[in-house]
Amino acid sequence: MSAPRKIPLSMTVNGALREALVEPRTSLLTFLREHCALPGAKRGCEEGECGACVVLLEGQPVTTCLIFAVEAEGHKLTTIEGLGQPAHLAPIQQAFLETAASQCGFCIPGMLLSAHALLKAESQPDEARIRQALSGNLCRCTGYDRIVKAVKLAADLQYGHR
Amino acid sequence: MQNFSYHAPATLGEACALMAEAPDRSRFLAGGSDLHLALEHHAGPVDTVIDLKRIAGLEGIEETPGGGWRIGALTRMAALERHQGLRAALPALCAAAAVVGGPPIRNRATLGGNLCNASPAADTATPLLAFGAQVEVSGGGVPGSNASRTLALEALWAGPRSTTLRPEEVLTAVVIPPPPTGGGANESTANESTAHGNAFARLTRSAMDIALVNAAASLTLDGSGRLASLTVALGAVGATVLSVPGTDALLGRPVDEALLEDIGKMAETAAQPITDVRASAEYRREMAGVMAMRAVGWAAAPAKGDTP
Ligand SMILES: Cc1cc2nc3c(=O)[nH]c(=O)nc-3n(C[C@H](O)[C@H](O)[C@H](O)COP(=O)(O)OP(=O)(O)OC[C@H]3O[C@@H](n4cnc5c(N)ncnc54)[C@H](O)[C@@H]3O)c2cc1C
Repeated sequence: MSAPRKIPLSMTVNGALREALVEPRTSLLTFLREHCALPGAKRGCEEGECGACVVLLEGQPVTTCLIFAVEAEGHKLTTIEGLGQPAHLAPIQQAFLETAASQCGFCIPGMLLSAHALLKAESQPDEARIRQALSGNLCRCTGYDRIVKAVKLAADLQYGHR
Repeated sequence: MQNFSYHAPATLGEACALMAEAPDRSRFLAGGSDLHLALEHHAGPVDTVIDLKRIAGLEGIEETPGGGWRIGALTRMAALERHQGLRAALPALCAAAAVVGGPPIRNRATLGGNLCNASPAADTATPLLAFGAQVEVSGGGVPGSNASRTLALEALWAGPRSTTLRPEEVLTAVVIPPPPTGGGANESTANESTAHGNAFARLTRSAMDIALVNAAASLTLDGSGRLASLTVALGAVGATVLSVPGTDALLGRPVDEALLEDIGKMAETAAQPITDVRASAEYRREMAGVMAMRAVGWAAAPAKGDTP
């Protein structure tokens, strides 16, 4: 039985190649926050329940607390740092800002990425669909109404419904 | 988190051989949505994690001749939930896949992982049991193991969180047989006018919670709306997911209030619930009846049926 050793790892995060030597037990969340210095994904429940650690893996929202970094070898990831920049916000970020859908902000990176993935797949999701798509992202501040409004606004901005 | 070495073999043979080296201290990894927490809290010491996701051919959904289905073990809940053909033919399975955790969990969680984790509350297990599904398992050609074999789904489980698989065996696919023709006495007329239906019902406190009770029904109605086949399965009310015995005695009857009452009583009798932090045994038993009635009612009237 070979002793656990560090494994060389490479993946594309926000378009840039990231390489590191990691222990197999390192979570993808820890890899992003500590090895890549991308603290946008948040350490919340660490049991896959809260969605604060959600990023996009090959475009799909996943909880990074329940993935070992080594499982993402060779994959493409998008974190909140890759979604837009202060001077050039993504539609979903612009919509959250205009709607004041964010309070403490802890859940927002995961919330935005789940909403972004939804709007990539669907141009006009109704309220039920939006709530379902965000059901893996908990917010303990807002009560979700503004968040739902923001996603609808983002669909309008992104697809020119208005 | 305990430390372990990680392997991501490209073939089943390698995966099974690695497992056979130290079966007590090794684990297979699929989506990891159960295994991560197990490694952290209750799996005991593990030295080796063997990732199955780089093995080609374990993923995918295909219809088989005659209207059955074959689903690769590494197929994700999100893929089941979205598959148009599966939604039309097996809405009970899609509805179950669609309530496993939230969307980020369903983008990782696999069908094989749900079944091999062997939780009595595994949501996809209940409809699959009602369909009379089988599972294909393979020992990958490891000496002394089976190359591959097929077993009835109920034979996969030994008890809560325990399977009957040999340690090196991997679940490779789930096979769902075509719906029964429900022929019986009047086989010749059965085919043209029979209708199949299946549905899933589930009780929880909130969206992200695991089921307090779930139920699935699969049935065939003959041309005059009478039951030509019926199977009902229950989850979270026993050591494993279980079938309600004796439903054949109901064949020939229409799906009306009286029938649903009888189903409810049979499900209550079949349930062997325990009391835990989520619910009392008494409440679970009663709800097993209610969920079974809903599943059968919805399965009989898919047009009216609306899954939670
Ligand atoms: C927040 C959260 C919510 C959840 N909600 C639900 C829910 O509502 N309903 C529900 O049913 N489950 C739920 N689960 C549990 C879990 O997501 C499912 O059981 C899932 O399907 C497990 O699949 P996986 O691929 O992630 O398995 P893994 O965690 O990778 O594996 C689970 C077990 O099965 C073994 N295994 C996996 N694949 C194979 C294979 N092909 N052959 C042999 N052994 C194998 C592994 O060694 C391990 O012991 C939830 C989990 C979380 C974290």
